[in-house]
Amino acid sequence: MKTVFTFILLALLPHQHDHSGMVKIPGGEFRPFLLSERKNRKVKVHSFYLDIHAVTNGEFLAFVKANPQWQRSRVPDIFADSHYLKQWAADLEIGDGRIINSPVTNISWFAATAYCKWKGKRLPTMDEWEYAAGAAPVNAKPGQQLSRIILEWYDHPNPAVLPAVGSTYKNSFGVYDMHGLIWEWVEDFNSVIPGGENRGAGANPFVCGAGSLGTANKEDYAAYMRYAFRENLQAAYTVSGLGFRCAQDTE
Amino acid sequence: MKNNIIAWGVIISIMALSCHKAPAPTRLSCCAKDGAVTASSLTGSLEANASVYQLPGEWTDAHNHSLELKELKGRVRVVAMIFTHCGYACPRLVQDMKAIEDALPVAVKNDVGYVLVSFDAERDDAAQLSRFDAEQGLDSHWTLLHGKRGQIRELSMLLNVKYQQLEDGNFNHSNSIFILDKKGKIIQSIDGLEPQTGLAVNTISRLVKN
Repeated sequence: MKTVFTFILLALLPHQHDHSGMVKIPGGEFRPFLLSERKNRKVKVHSFYLDIHAVTNGEFLAFVKANPQWQRSRVPDIFADSHYLKQWAADLEIGDGRIINSPVTNISWFAATAYCKWKGKRLPTMDEWEYAAGAAPVNAKPGQQLSRIILEWYDHPNPAVLPAVGSTYKNSFGVYDMHGLIWEWVEDFNSVIPGGENRGAGANPFVCGAGSLGTANKEDYAAYMRYAFRENLQAAYTVSGLGFRCAQDTE
Repeated sequence: MKNNIIAWGVIISIMALSCHKAPAPTRLSCCAKDGAVTASSLTGSLEANASVYQLPGEWTDAHNHSLELKELKGRVRVVAMIFTHCGYACPRLVQDMKAIEDALPVAVKNDVGYVLVSFDAERDDAAQLSRFDAEQGLDSHWTLLHGKRGQIRELSMLLNVKYQQLEDGNFNHSNSIFILDKKGKIIQSIDGLEPQTGLAVNTISRLVKN
């Protein structure tokens, strides 16, 4: 009897402690691209779990089946624009078999957030993502440094069929494809606040607080591109090269 | 593929814009005022499904009552995101909202509500919001909301408010006041710290009659 009870109890527990497909990223410090006066030169990141690879079309299909409100034809406009999941053949059909294991793209921040929540996870913060993405490749071709991988990727147009997850490189944290496959949503992408530069008629609605923004490394063109990209996103936008992976607290 | 082109178009335009960036670190001027106002009507979003109140989740108000955003339906709402430890910009936003309230015709006043949502999940609990409410002398038309970190971020995304928590617990954030119709659709956003009372009053009066 007691065994049955325990079994039921276990079955009822949410999958909060299911870290399958994730790797524990040890806490540490990194030097972010964007600095503010109040943010020291280094940012501390606590230990967290991160998905080893980006969420795939196949994985996202399971989510949409379980949560019909996220079907292409049903999702409200404020949560995803009209290109949402446009690479799929229909609401519940991917169609092109070649992209089942490719990262799901044309996905809004709201949809990505809902998927992670459904998994008992969350999106990584920008600091977490940048910290994890800064780790060196462990299985790249000899002499191929991270910056080279990124710049070569920027240099090439997106392939007609997005390759499967795990097809680029693995980094020293054990995470795949942080660069070279897709751009990825982060929880707080809207914390990239333009600095005091004047746009048009000197409009700068970004005040309050006394931070000053500067960049840590002006040569870091690759990072600059990521931050600039994020600054111009809105949460309902869907973009063909933009997907996501989930994270989780360690506690 | 078209999306690709759009994405790269965006990136290229970002790069073009960035040419104007000063090479030295630029300062977020606290409280820059000159010409810092743009008022825009948000068009383009479709009528259907445009309500911000579709965002699920329980919030807590200054009286420690829990409520969902959809309970804000039925009145025109003037909304801003703030934090109560904010030195300058947030009190200004509240002042601007009060100015709108004061300028509204009597016939309209009771059909309008004011909502302040805090960025500060840690410090702005119901007790602190209640203190702020009293300090600012806010009347019963005002609703102050406290939420969890994730739902605050979600709402900021819907309103297109940018914010960043600083190490001292305060926030850098964009300053906007939003006017929502009775169903929760954003009709107008007033950006900046210069009052646009007349504009807001016109919009609100029109929406109340609808």
